[in-house]
Amino acid sequence: MSFLREVQLEKEFGPSIVFREALGFLPNLIRAQSLLPRVIEAQAKLEDAVRLRAGDLSRAQKERILLTIAADRRDTYCVAMHSGVLSSLGATPGQIDDLLNEYRGADLSAPDLATLQFCLKLSRNAPAVQWEDIEPLRVSGLTDRAIFETVVVTALAIYVCTLSAGLRPELDFQARELPSPRAGSPAKTPRASSSADIHRGWERKGPYLPAPYLSPHTFEPFAILQRTHGFMPKFFRSQTLRPDLLKAELEAVNSILFPEDALSRVQKECILLAVSATNLNSYCVAVHCNLLRGLGVSPEEGDQIAVDHHESALSNADKALLDFAVKLGAHFSDFSNEDVIGLRALGFTEEQILECVVVTALNNFANTLQMGLGIEPDFAPPPVFEENKVHLSGAALTPMQGAGAVHLVDKPQDVDAELVAQAQGGKLEAFEELVRRHTQLIYRTLMAILGNAIDAQDAMQDTLLSSFKHISGFQGRAKFSTWLVSIARNTALQRLRSRKNVESLDQSEYEEDRDFRPRQVRAWQDNPEQCFSKSEIRQLVETGILALPPKFRVVVMLRDIEQLSTDEVARQLGLSVPAVKTRLLRGRLMLREWLSPHFTTSTKGATQ
Amino acid sequence: MITCDEFFAEFADYLENQASPEVRQELELHLSQCRACYVLYDSSQKTIKIVSESNSFELPQKVFDPIIDRVMSKLRTERS
Repeated sequence: MSFLREVQLEKEFGPSIVFREALGFLPNLIRAQSLLPRVIEAQAKLEDAVRLRAGDLSRAQKERILLTIAADRRDTYCVAMHSGVLSSLGATPGQIDDLLNEYRGADLSAPDLATLQFCLKLSRNAPAVQWEDIEPLRVSGLTDRAIFETVVVTALAIYVCTLSAGLRPELDFQARELPSPRAGSPAKTPRASSSADIHRGWERKGPYLPAPYLSPHTFEPFAILQRTHGFMPKFFRSQTLRPDLLKAELEAVNSILFPEDALSRVQKECILLAVSATNLNSYCVAVHCNLLRGLGVSPEEGDQIAVDHHESALSNADKALLDFAVKLGAHFSDFSNEDVIGLRALGFTEEQILECVVVTALNNFANTLQMGLGIEPDFAPPPVFEENKVHLSGAALTPMQGAGAVHLVDKPQDVDAELVAQAQGGKLEAFEELVRRHTQLIYRTLMAILGNAIDAQDAMQDTLLSSFKHISGFQGRAKFSTWLVSIARNTALQRLRSRKNVESLDQSEYEEDRDFRPRQVRAWQDNPEQCFSKSEIRQLVETGILALPPKFRVVVMLRDIEQLSTDEVARQLGLSVPAVKTRLLRGRLMLREWLSPHFTTSTKGATQ
Repeated sequence: MITCDEFFAEFADYLENQASPEVRQELELHLSQCRACYVLYDSSQKTIKIVSESNSFELPQKVFDPIIDRVMSKLRTERS
């Protein structure tokens, strides 16, 4: 028996047949997930595409990668299983022993050796992987598709090992003897080896492999992704070299993340965020912070979970759930049945615990893929996370003790910090100076929401009074200017509500926003702004902006007038970046329609 | 070549200079052959430039002075 309760799977259960046909047996790891058949379906799809058939790598090559990583992680279940499978594919006991002891001594071709070396680095220390690690694979003769498959197989190895650590199924084959661990390896915890590595991790330019354009009109999974996520993360767009693998992956993601019969979607996103943060994966941290915002969680709460979930507003049970996931995901060798018992005691069901294990495994799969492919971020990660990464990794060097996790060490750098401290101490002059620094930003935010100057100036007074009243509650987790904007936003929204036509600024349906199509198709002049005086242009633009519905107006105002980055606008408004992008495009296109009659080539007054 | 719909789906990222090299290549091929999308792209870019250089809603600091003075004197009175 594994850690969790099991039920009998039906004989005709499709996914079981997939494994039986390819392997000749149903792995106990699959039986250990029988409480949630949909997660078995997900794994079967993934394994069928990635592992159970030959692709650009042969089945034996794939099993060698899986076995080498399992041995490196000292995962007795996976070692026994992959040894059994390799032997059924014709490997001799001697060849298997060579892999278990020291792959470099095994009788393998140069490309195979280079592949195993790469896979081990990716598995042990993903944040340190860079361009230079991909090159030897190319030099040894691997095609881009084969390299891609190598990364995906490595990610699958980690998925399966994480499941095995979390469920501890009975062995399918006799246990294999593993050599005693050598000093320095295997790595216990994924980590960047130095702070230099970490920073390069964020600045480095990927992706390492080409990603041909794939249209959502012809590749249906992309259309589905657009609907479920509201955008197409680069994570998936960077994997178009092998649409077959990508499709399987997306199907697995959908059946693991979206149903809410065990854990809620928010709980699952929190797991993905917390474990990605511990794995120092900036890309995934940024994505899950944004997805959480889309689910109604504030940017500050998302940041807090990334940096230290113990200090977040989550319930104690949910914090324990994250402790469990972080331990399994990043400190797997310390994970034991005690951790499962702990969650049970807090009232989590067997299904929920199982799902937490699966989501953690999926997270590690995704983290590995992102780092192995060098996928470029869609959004900036939270600044507070980036600044604390050095401390996070330092803490990650020590295996976690019980509920121990990382605490926020540094506050984000904020030019206002000193004045804020003085103002919090009651110094009015400091407050006045602070306010003067940000009047323009406050005014534009108010203007954007309220749409007229008199109201905005009135609301400014309320905003300032309210910010002084609450300044002692400002904890410095966000920038002071961000906090001020949020006060201005609330003040303005309160005023709006007292008016008749209330228009919501809330996160809303992506669909409605996307259906907008531009109408004006006449070409514009070369230097349109030269036909009008500066004040005429300003008048035109202001009128156009004021005519926009508030939810578009706010975004255009902060992005194009106040010139904040898209990430900052999202943060200030508590929206996800994709939602901001959609609104921004729509607002810009509406402005374009408005300006067009004045700037098209046939406009009167055009001199050329 | 990609369709106008496909072009439009990538348009937001392209305007923000965030499309991947492969996608950008497809979009630029489309732009070179589709006048309607080219006009859309060109005018949208000009719109962004005009809007962001317009100094809209920028008020001279002195407009804010009376507001700030009122607030500060109110806070001072509350304190004493």
